[in-house]
Amino acid sequence: MSQDNGAHAESGATGATTDASLASRAKNPKKNGPKWWLISLIAVIVAVAVVIGVTLAYAKKDNGTASGNGAAQASTVTIGLKLAPTNLDIRNTAGSALDQILIGNVYEGIVARDSKNQVTPAIASSWEESKDGLTYTFHLNKNMVFSNGDTLDAEDVAWSINELIAKQYHDADALEAVSKVEAKDADTVVITLKTPNSNLLWTLTGRAGLVFDKDAKYDLKTQAVGSGPYTVAKFVENDSITLKANEKYWGKNKAKTPTIVVKYLADDNAAVNALKSGDVQVLAPITENLAEPFTSDPSKYVVKAGDGTDKYVLGFNNASGSKLADKRIRQAIRYAINHDELIASRGGADKALGGPIPSLDPGYEDLTDLYPYDQDKAKSLMAAVGYSEDKPLELTLTYANIYGTELGDQLRSQLKPIGIDLKVNVVEFSTWLQDVYTNHDFDISLVDHNESHDFYTWTDPTYYFGYDNKDVQKLYAEGIAATTDKERDAKFAEAAKLISEDAPADWLFNYRITTATAKGVEGFPFDLNQTVLPLYNVTYTK
Amino acid sequence: MSNTMRKVRSPGAGETAAHTVAHKPLRRFSIVLQSIWRRGEGKFTLIVLTLWLAVALVSLVWTPQSLWTTDGYHVWAKPSASHWLGTDGTGADVFSWLMAGSRTNLLIVVLTVVLSAVWGLALVAAMVARTPALAGTSVVVVDALISIPTVLIALILAVPLGASIAVIVVACGFGYGLNLARVARPAALLAARSAYVESARANGASGWRVLVSHIIPNILPVLAVQLSLSAGTAVLAESGLTYLGIGVPSGVPSWGHSLATSVKLINVFPLTVLWPGLIVTMVVVALNVFGDVLRDAVDPVASPALRQTVAVASDARNTGVTETAEADGEEDER
Repeated sequence: MSQDNGAHAESGATGATTDASLASRAKNPKKNGPKWWLISLIAVIVAVAVVIGVTLAYAKKDNGTASGNGAAQASTVTIGLKLAPTNLDIRNTAGSALDQILIGNVYEGIVARDSKNQVTPAIASSWEESKDGLTYTFHLNKNMVFSNGDTLDAEDVAWSINELIAKQYHDADALEAVSKVEAKDADTVVITLKTPNSNLLWTLTGRAGLVFDKDAKYDLKTQAVGSGPYTVAKFVENDSITLKANEKYWGKNKAKTPTIVVKYLADDNAAVNALKSGDVQVLAPITENLAEPFTSDPSKYVVKAGDGTDKYVLGFNNASGSKLADKRIRQAIRYAINHDELIASRGGADKALGGPIPSLDPGYEDLTDLYPYDQDKAKSLMAAVGYSEDKPLELTLTYANIYGTELGDQLRSQLKPIGIDLKVNVVEFSTWLQDVYTNHDFDISLVDHNESHDFYTWTDPTYYFGYDNKDVQKLYAEGIAATTDKERDAKFAEAAKLISEDAPADWLFNYRITTATAKGVEGFPFDLNQTVLPLYNVTYTK
Repeated sequence: MSNTMRKVRSPGAGETAAHTVAHKPLRRFSIVLQSIWRRGEGKFTLIVLTLWLAVALVSLVWTPQSLWTTDGYHVWAKPSASHWLGTDGTGADVFSWLMAGSRTNLLIVVLTVVLSAVWGLALVAAMVARTPALAGTSVVVVDALISIPTVLIALILAVPLGASIAVIVVACGFGYGLNLARVARPAALLAARSAYVESARANGASGWRVLVSHIIPNILPVLAVQLSLSAGTAVLAESGLTYLGIGVPSGVPSWGHSLATSVKLINVFPLTVLWPGLIVTMVVVALNVFGDVLRDAVDPVASPALRQTVAVASDARNTGVTETAEADGEEDER
């Protein structure tokens, strides 16, 4: 009777009987009988699963090494990169992932860039510049062909650049100064400018100078017909690109490895596991901290950092009315940041950077002495404006979550003692673009400006930092109009120093790309490999 | 019915009743605690939850190191005398951050439980309402809403709110309230359609009165289990959502924050992930088990000692109304 659940079903029962049966129920709760057979069964299943899992994992590892165990050089090298292109349309799709994989491998430009960011011959074997800096004459190589067998001559070069300007493809604005591009004869191309532009040659090493086959018809999004040492054999969106050696290749940079597979590994831990298990032979980039297991095993791996043009810019809002319009506050922040400590915490590969120009760009000079780490100076500057640790100035740092939360946390700690209460707002990249980049609604922003030759952003008052300095703009214009590199570099350096002194931003560091490879990989470029990644030289010998 | 009876009882009987009632909550509380403590798993939950509470309180005034001391030259350090659990990627003390994180997680759990209880009970009330239209619609609405994943709700909330504790609390409170309502509905319905509710209504008891004195006491066991499950899941949700970047904002210590920042380097520094992971696991297990043992401990059917207090109270009241221990037990709490 008492087993009935109905609350009022027992109203007739006497207290004694109810209590007795309830007490007996309480003494023997059903769940107190441990089901030993069930527990042991589960234990056995778990043990078996673990054994099978471990066996499989090791079996896979053995296969991985066995396949690379050939006596000679491997016929396939697999490379793990991070940022995947969404399609292959290098004419229209933005993003350095495309430049990285296609330029120099599948497509070639009229000129190319070496690992020190200098201009080198490619389709043009040599060139001359007129004294006034308005005419560039390019002499092309002979007997060039595209991967589809078509010949490559001056017609294709002129057509490619003219199309870019006419149809305003990606990067067309870099060629604003160009008035016309002509094929003088089969081996000569002449570019005429409206105004001198000392950056022209470098610009032509990128997308602006790429040469396409005028007569070929193909879908740019999924295929690529170029004149480089490789062709695209297979493209899987957001996953991988398979490159096969171009059998018709005409030049010196002949592919040393017949097949190169590029895998895109967005997840860091997956990337590390891929290199450990032998699924990939190269990882670029990898953070210095993540690379620790490889660094500590030099018999199997090589870990090396290469130079790059990535500038981690802590940009201040310089617009009038901003909390940072007072120069003393901006200077205080620059004095208060311990750059060495930031770099050390990231593994020590990065380089201190005191101004807007990184070492691989024209006009670089070491400006790190302008604002050395000096907390007392920072405190007295803040005190002069009326702030202290007890009465702090509240500022918000907005940056994209792709850079991790550590930098924000560290900056907050470093700025606290000088009287700045830094609120860190880590957002989606799209939110950063909307709030900071487009609407200029921010106090402090942090972003990795990775482009080379992007010094012009400091001469554009409408850019998100809102930095407006007439002297800088004048110097930059003079540098662009310069007809010698030396003159240009001097002007840029002078402008960069003016900017750094004004403290419109702090340059946290020049990020250097760390690359990890399996031992036996040769010819993989370490410098600048996130934008320029020529793969023809890569080999892997186990 | 008993309510009306109580109001008119004679002053002579009331004197003894008042005396007993004053000591009863405390006594009941200690009986419940004792009966939880007597079980093995009960000991575990009590120890873990008390420790959690204590650490959260202590962290308000003291942590071994300041949260804002970062030492970039000693990141990912191994445990040492100055950093008991080592340091994280900024060089801050992991132990201090975990200590401080316990109060954020406690806050989130309490707010989530309160919100899901209020929202769940409101839905229960609607679902067992006497108006068929309201009851029918609310059942359908709950069934429809329950299919929306909590993570999705959180992601949508994060659009206007950004990363904030409110996102976790509202998303979890909303989702778990639905679960609670659905699980509690059968028991609530049974109570709502019972003869004593009929008679209470006949005596003019309001809907609110019926809910508070009849329906809620009847679904208390379900509530205890569901709410403690919600509490456990809220801790997990905090970790998950913070990892996704829409939970606890940067700079606010929480276990999810410690997990999210260290999990990136799990291959290299697995120890740093272990600590917050262990804590989260322990607390979630403790909260889940707590619901079970609490239900058994507060259930007069299963606890003779608790029935004793009920019997004493019934005698003291001496109203002459015969009621079962089950139906009566919770009512007597006040």
